[in-house]
Amino acid sequence: MASRFSVCIDIGGTFTDCVVASERGLDIYKAASTPPAFESGFMDSLQLAAEEAELDLSAFLKATSTIVHGTTVSTNALIEGRTARVGLICNEGHPDVLTLREAPRKRAFDWKLDYPKPFVPRNRTCEVRGRIDARGNELIPLHEADVRDAVEYLQSCPVDAVAVSLLWSIIAPAHERRVREIIHELWPDIAVTLSHELNPIPREYRRTISAAIDASLTGVMPAYLERIEGAVRDAGFTGSLLVANCIGGMMTVEEIARQPIYSVMSGPTLAPVAAQTLCDEPDMVVIDMGGTTFDVSAIRSGRLIVTTEAMINDDLLGLPKIDVRSVGAGGGSIAWVDSGGLLCVGPKSAGAVPGPACYGHGGDQPTVTDANLVLGILDPDYFLGGRVTLDPDAARAAIVPIAEHIGLSVEEAAYAIHVTSNENMIAAIEDITVNEGLDPRDSYFVAGGGATGCHIGEMARALGIARFMVPRFAAGLSAYGGLVSDIRGEASATHPTSSENFQLDAVNETLRRLRVQGDEFLQRADVPPSQRRFAYAFQARYKYQSWEIDVPFDDAQLRESDISVLADAFHRMHERIYTIKNEADEVEFTTWTVRAVGLRDAVSVGDVRDRTRRPPPLPTRQVYIGAERAFQALPVFNADALGEGESIDGPAILDSRTTTVLIHTGQRATIDGQGNCCVEPTESPIQSGPGA
Amino acid sequence: MTVKNENADFDPILLAVLSRRLEAIIREMSNTVMRASRSAVITNARDMSCGILTYDHRLICVEEAMPIHVSALDLTTRPITELFDDVKEGDAFFNNSPYLGVTHHADMTLCVPVFAGSEPLFWVLARSHHADVGAPEPTTYLPYAATVYQEGVHFPCVRIQEDFRDKDDIVRIGLHKIRSPHIWYGDYRAQVGACRIGERRLHELVTRYGIATIREFIEAWMNYGERRATAAIRELPAGTWRHTSTHDPIPGVADAGIPITAEVSVDPDAGRISVDLRDNPDCVPGGVNLSEACARGSCLIGVFYNLDATIPHNAGSANRIDVHLRDGCVVGRPTFPAGTSVATTNVNDRLINAVQCCFAKMGEPHGLAEGGGDFSSGMGVVSGVDDRDGASIPYVNQFCVGLSGGPGTHDHDGWLTYEAPNGGGVLVLDSIEIDEAQYPILMESRRVATDSMGAGRWNGAPATEGAYRSLSGDCAVFYCSDGDTNPAQGVFGGHAGAPSGNWRRSANGDDEPLPSFHEARHTSDESMVYRSAAGGGYGEPEARDPQSVAEDVNRKWLSAERARSVYKVALLKAANGIDFTVDEAETRRLRDG
Repeated sequence: MASRFSVCIDIGGTFTDCVVASERGLDIYKAASTPPAFESGFMDSLQLAAEEAELDLSAFLKATSTIVHGTTVSTNALIEGRTARVGLICNEGHPDVLTLREAPRKRAFDWKLDYPKPFVPRNRTCEVRGRIDARGNELIPLHEADVRDAVEYLQSCPVDAVAVSLLWSIIAPAHERRVREIIHELWPDIAVTLSHELNPIPREYRRTISAAIDASLTGVMPAYLERIEGAVRDAGFTGSLLVANCIGGMMTVEEIARQPIYSVMSGPTLAPVAAQTLCDEPDMVVIDMGGTTFDVSAIRSGRLIVTTEAMINDDLLGLPKIDVRSVGAGGGSIAWVDSGGLLCVGPKSAGAVPGPACYGHGGDQPTVTDANLVLGILDPDYFLGGRVTLDPDAARAAIVPIAEHIGLSVEEAAYAIHVTSNENMIAAIEDITVNEGLDPRDSYFVAGGGATGCHIGEMARALGIARFMVPRFAAGLSAYGGLVSDIRGEASATHPTSSENFQLDAVNETLRRLRVQGDEFLQRADVPPSQRRFAYAFQARYKYQSWEIDVPFDDAQLRESDISVLADAFHRMHERIYTIKNEADEVEFTTWTVRAVGLRDAVSVGDVRDRTRRPPPLPTRQVYIGAERAFQALPVFNADALGEGESIDGPAILDSRTTTVLIHTGQRATIDGQGNCCVEPTESPIQSGPGA
Repeated sequence: MTVKNENADFDPILLAVLSRRLEAIIREMSNTVMRASRSAVITNARDMSCGILTYDHRLICVEEAMPIHVSALDLTTRPITELFDDVKEGDAFFNNSPYLGVTHHADMTLCVPVFAGSEPLFWVLARSHHADVGAPEPTTYLPYAATVYQEGVHFPCVRIQEDFRDKDDIVRIGLHKIRSPHIWYGDYRAQVGACRIGERRLHELVTRYGIATIREFIEAWMNYGERRATAAIRELPAGTWRHTSTHDPIPGVADAGIPITAEVSVDPDAGRISVDLRDNPDCVPGGVNLSEACARGSCLIGVFYNLDATIPHNAGSANRIDVHLRDGCVVGRPTFPAGTSVATTNVNDRLINAVQCCFAKMGEPHGLAEGGGDFSSGMGVVSGVDDRDGASIPYVNQFCVGLSGGPGTHDHDGWLTYEAPNGGGVLVLDSIEIDEAQYPILMESRRVATDSMGAGRWNGAPATEGAYRSLSGDCAVFYCSDGDTNPAQGVFGGHAGAPSGNWRRSANGDDEPLPSFHEARHTSDESMVYRSAAGGGYGEPEARDPQSVAEDVNRKWLSAERARSVYKVALLKAANGIDFTVDEAETRRLRDG
């Protein structure tokens, strides 16, 4: 049977979003996340999709070709410190690479701060004798007795995983490999990450920290993926299961289990990918308010922003990553009053269990969702299309203590929670715009996440943003991104050579090997050969520089005449980035990269031609309007039924099966051809003039 | 804290956006210098800074810059408009003269005017610490150079570009006079790239917002800086305080050492601080005299280290600080041709320590202890010949592998990778692999030095110790290790940090102590062994939280013996036989008994 469905499932702290593509377009399903057994929520969301397709689960899965999966499991584990205990084996004399870092300070003048602790404690770090120099010469042979002592020590500590990072292992990896052999001889079951295999770059801190983070996730990700894959295979799925990675690509389950660091921020990196396919605006800010976190990313001149300086707590990640920033501000964020009497919201979240008080699952802490219910923005009987009934009394009861503490009515307190939550999110938006010197008012906003629609209208007004979009699949924006984006994998290898003495055959051999790796990746991802594309790049620098730049090039196999072409491409890129070039100077090539792309058939988003152009409004809803400190009856429309081009002027509410959008006075929402809700000012700014 | 907004008509969001935009432009400029340069001291250690000033020489902002590089930038651009009456678009001016506003001769600085149409609006500036300056010896720090005539090449504020093109005759001076000229030229070109990027971005900004808005913004921004500084000074006690920090003896230059005294007076009602340096020794016959840019800059730095760090460091906030200097003073305006080769570190670090410690005399929770100074051979300038790849290529570079420890302050221990008072902790520690790839040096070890920190309720940060040797014949190491004799002092009963030190390790492993101001020449089987200076402690060590003491022992910064003898904390081994925990009863007995 030909496959009829492809699926992307994004697991967040509160909801598991499932977006399904079929002949009839896209559909979105939301199930509760089920920590720690996330696979239950994963399967629940598939069950919802199967029911909608009027198939039993096994038949649905048999007709599904690909499942792409995004997950914040590893990110949350790192942020909350719930990772495996890691031991580090390093060179004698260099036990403080993770403590010293690259000197981790950006701002002078501030002494009221504490030096951050290393990712691996010093007394979980073991030095071994053995030294390679920069040209690959062995200056001191590996002292195997030191390695055996280290293993015995780390067993006593104990630790759950070991990272091995030795100087110059990227040039001569024999010592690192031998260390792993000895570890496994003595301690067969322990997970070991070798720095040169994971992240073959010079700069010992970056390579070591990435190896240590990776090792810490071996206690989290492989078991997690095994449970997910086991559940979906048991239910009859035979297609390919891919996991979104931190650089906007995807990896097979086996690959990501082997190198779990690539799963950091796996889900949220798909949101800017999604936004790119939704509109052609060159500059966008993409926000996503889920149950637990608020994620922000940006698109500049049509390009995703990749950073090599991504931070996890006090450390660099050590690997390049799409620049998505996350703060603890979601619908489930809990409101509280600090010792000075100040109202605070988050970062603690009610999560999926027990969830907001109004879910009626035993939660009694006041959350942003509870506040939105008390304010009338949410309809207790039509939350998630009526699949979940909310309890307004429980929401009120949870907010009462806060209201009493700060001396406000329950409604006023709910509004204060709503506004404080907005301020938290505005700060996160400013971090990626204003702090980078970009005016948020110059960007188009794409608002994803199930909870964003309740807040975006007011945040837009506060930030002075005129235009924004709440996509039809806002509630599962990341999952949507995983479905519409191409399948991308990347393979790199270090092979230093230079324009003066170019090792043509060796480079061609490296490129051939990388190309085979890319091809195998696409094979595992079930991409047919006709849909496979390959792009090539090298990292290079002028002799004596120490930072490389990334330069794309065309040919898989190089000829003698191509050497000057590569050098010219480098000079041009150097000039583009730094405004200068030095064409007489030697170019040093360090790393070669093949990017494998599996083109996916354009997914039909579905259109809205079957819709009544303008269905009658639903009964009005009493919504608390902060500016007036009073409830006001607002018209309510079913967004799932509004036809293309229909406009609704605020104040109004647009309810759909997976989200609710509150439009304010002065804002006009128009439904586009794909069912997205595009908001613009009702009139152009008033011209000032005589009499104005 | 709320202060009256005198520019209430300027859009507060735009004030934030434009100030951050200028910071982002400086970050992009700095990134260009760091990534496009060639010598490790710039690309690796980031010994460089960029800035933007108004055309009438008011500092607008600095970002991720070394404080000593940027705190008196106006002195660097002023000579251009005094010396030239034909400044035009496409010009670039190159300056490393301490007598024309530069910090010291290695901080070669490129300044580019930014025009909007025919109107000059800004200066963009890129300052890099070059690896060589063509001095008689291959180093950029010459403690024995008594006059400028021993310092190598000076570019006394010359026009090095016209119509956006290098003037080959000027460039040729550098190419002929400086060692490893291709590296010098590559580093210079990176500064050109940075300034042209800054110029391009400022043009975009002016186009986007218009000159009028930009002008209004600058005034609003200066006023904001001044308001913030005034408000912070108003919260300090009134009075006058003095502190002296003494630089180590330098044979033949200052045999008894150089005591540096700062006098800080606070007038909270007026919202002003003054720093008086006039009661200090005359210039010494060596290279440790300060340039005016360093003397003035360091007074501001010592004050800003004690004010809210979010105050903008611009001409507005600097307006609230009065600096009193004297001609011919070792920390003042030097008398030409006195040597200032080492102006940014050594005596300068003593000066910043003296200013910041005056604040400690106001009583807790004010002030900082003394921070560890520059610079042992862990920051040494190393030269030799690299024959690893066949050809013999001469090299010279400053390695930044052993940074000094920061001062303790109320509620916080010192910062480990502090480097020195002049750097504000923003210098980047060298990557061992990048150093080893580019130079024939093997970094044998680098680690936190156990039991070196200045003990206190809040510790001064420990020193870093290590060893390196040549892989390619002999090498020379120049260093000026202040802190071997007079370590960083603690305050409020905090102890001094361990002194710095330098040793020659012979092939059989013996360590021989070396002089503090020295050119060491080593064969390839001898190692240069260094220990940087640790920071001073704040408060009595007996008052330190015992859990923090146990943590210091677990991270091997402190021995269990010193935990007991200095901090009066007794420890027990945990069940795994590895970790230490506090022995509560015994600790109580030690501390109360």
